[in-house]
Amino acid sequence: MVITVKDLVKRYGDLVALDHFDLAVEEGEILGLLGPNGSGKTTALNCILSLLTYNSGEICVFDRPMAPDAYGTKRNIGVIMQNVAVFNELTVWENVFFFCGLYITDKAECRRLSEEAIDFAGLNDYRKFYPKKLSGGLLRRLNIACGIAHKPKLIILDEPTVAVDPQSRNKILEGIKQLNRNGATVVYTSHYMEEVEQICTRIIILDRGRIIANGTKEELKNMISLGEKITVETNTVSDGQLSVLKTLPGIDTVSFDGQELIIRSGKDRNNLESVLDFLKKQSIGYGRIYSEMPTLNDVFLELTGKELRD
Amino acid sequence: MSSHIFTTRLKCLFRDRATVFWTMAFPIILALLFNATLRNIDKMADGFQPVDIAVVDNEMYENDSSFREALNAASDGENRIFSLTEASEEEAADLLRGGRISGYFTDGDLVSVTVGSSGFEASLMQTFADSYMQMHYASSDILEADPQSYETLMTAVKEKTGYLRDVSISDAEPDSAYSYFYALLAMACLYAGFWGLREAEDIQADLSVRAARVNIAPVKKGKAFFSSMAASFVLSMSEILLLFLFLRFVLGIDFGVRTNLVLLVTLAGCLLGLSGGAFIGAVVRGSENLKTGVMLGLTMTGCMLAGMMYQGIKIQIDRNAPALRWINPVNLLTDAYYNIYYLPALDRFWIDMAILGGFIAVFSIGTYLKIRRQKYASL
Repeated sequence: MVITVKDLVKRYGDLVALDHFDLAVEEGEILGLLGPNGSGKTTALNCILSLLTYNSGEICVFDRPMAPDAYGTKRNIGVIMQNVAVFNELTVWENVFFFCGLYITDKAECRRLSEEAIDFAGLNDYRKFYPKKLSGGLLRRLNIACGIAHKPKLIILDEPTVAVDPQSRNKILEGIKQLNRNGATVVYTSHYMEEVEQICTRIIILDRGRIIANGTKEELKNMISLGEKITVETNTVSDGQLSVLKTLPGIDTVSFDGQELIIRSGKDRNNLESVLDFLKKQSIGYGRIYSEMPTLNDVFLELTGKELRD
Repeated sequence: MSSHIFTTRLKCLFRDRATVFWTMAFPIILALLFNATLRNIDKMADGFQPVDIAVVDNEMYENDSSFREALNAASDGENRIFSLTEASEEEAADLLRGGRISGYFTDGDLVSVTVGSSGFEASLMQTFADSYMQMHYASSDILEADPQSYETLMTAVKEKTGYLRDVSISDAEPDSAYSYFYALLAMACLYAGFWGLREAEDIQADLSVRAARVNIAPVKKGKAFFSSMAASFVLSMSEILLLFLFLRFVLGIDFGVRTNLVLLVTLAGCLLGLSGGAFIGAVVRGSENLKTGVMLGLTMTGCMLAGMMYQGIKIQIDRNAPALRWINPVNLLTDAYYNIYYLPALDRFWIDMAILGGFIAVFSIGTYLKIRRQKYASL
């Protein structure tokens, strides 16, 4: 096991930030920790990294108890903080070289790894730039380069794409997959469900410091009763037609707000064909029609009764 | 590892333009301003201008040869204090109203002084009139008792003898103006606190994300902190020495001949500033701006009480609250510099140094106890 956390409890006064939290991260996976702000994702990571004290529980990394002076273990961990943690007085190259040098004592090796990290993050054209001259996306990439330059076996990324433009976000996500392909185990926290769905091989959903779901994205979606959601853009549906629609087999709920007709189906049911047939028979004109499968937000909504981004 | 942190840190600090300005350029600018101001004061003292006055040319004045002689003596020659005009009472009043004279004397049973407003000129005229009347009555009493003593009396009046004499306890000339520059150098020493404060911020994971990143790395926290502090020490000591050389060789401020002791005080001052800044950074809870404000506030209060803005405050504290001088690090540094320059004996200097050492020890131990934590309750 790369990370093992057992029965971790962390309290801030009366607030329970982590409530008997358990975690097992296997070698080679990309584990996503998904949850709204304040759900305990960052607290869990800081406890794992031995930055935070905790009330009870056990934490092992690479099968060894984690502690502030576990230097051998720390050498194999790379961390990309939620906030950009670089020195504004050092250039891109100097920042990467400095942080890499905290892990690698051999100067030549450190230089080589720093070059690779700069290349990996696509910062070659900016190596002499000071951080203040970089855009938000480039700054995030520098933050990542500083965290992974020493080629860690375990990479922990805490919301690395906050306030990043879509182009940089895609590059960052591709980079994380590349790091994983190169052999690194990745723990990735985010409250962006699309990112987690896109790159993670396993997902843990956290709420109020507790794990409420754990599995692949397919497994998580199977945990809920909701199935397909069909949206029809139309403004000509009568109450009578709505009543008939509700009686069609496999349809759970129907709602109409004067502009959109939304039809929800139960788990494992596909009703697009029957809905199209119904619209044709009833001569209901429509603009667009599209079908969506449940998202992780729907999973979170059903499990907690609230939106992921609340 | 230590050299990696030290060299990178030195680079980092040297490029921190705002802090370099406050710790290096600002004291030099202040020194230039002090120098310009104190030189102007010297020029003002050198270029004393006689006070324009008048005397009412009445019958009493015509017949009072001694007052005429006294006034003429004060209004004649290179060191004259008055520029005298003889005028009728109406003319004198007109001159005063027109602002062409500061006041006028009217001879009578007593010499009266009429002035337009109070101030230095009025005080000078009143002092002159009082001295004259005192001398006049004393002479009258002596001549009444012994008319034969006229010659002796005149000789005695002309040969004024002072019974007070300045005795220097040192070969060096006492110069209170130097205290301003010594206080400025002390201020620069305490400004090393800017660097110390930054070191504390950059080593505690609960204070900055950079510190969190360093804490996560496989580096002993103590090693990282002392390597960084060493870089801060080298930079701040260089800045203070640069200021010292500027004061000594550009502005000509005399620090005496015991340069090794001057360097010792400067070293102690630099360590005091660094440890004090780190202590504030580690202990004060709040934003970096708040900590900087606390540090600046304490330093500038210390400077003010040590007489950097006005020497009178230092004298008042020495007279009325002597305990305060021993707990004000700026005052201790200023005194130590002045002792080296002026006093041959070093008893008081070593007391100052011992107290400074105590301050450094307290700040260093306090900082160590605060930053040795490796895990935090919250970040």
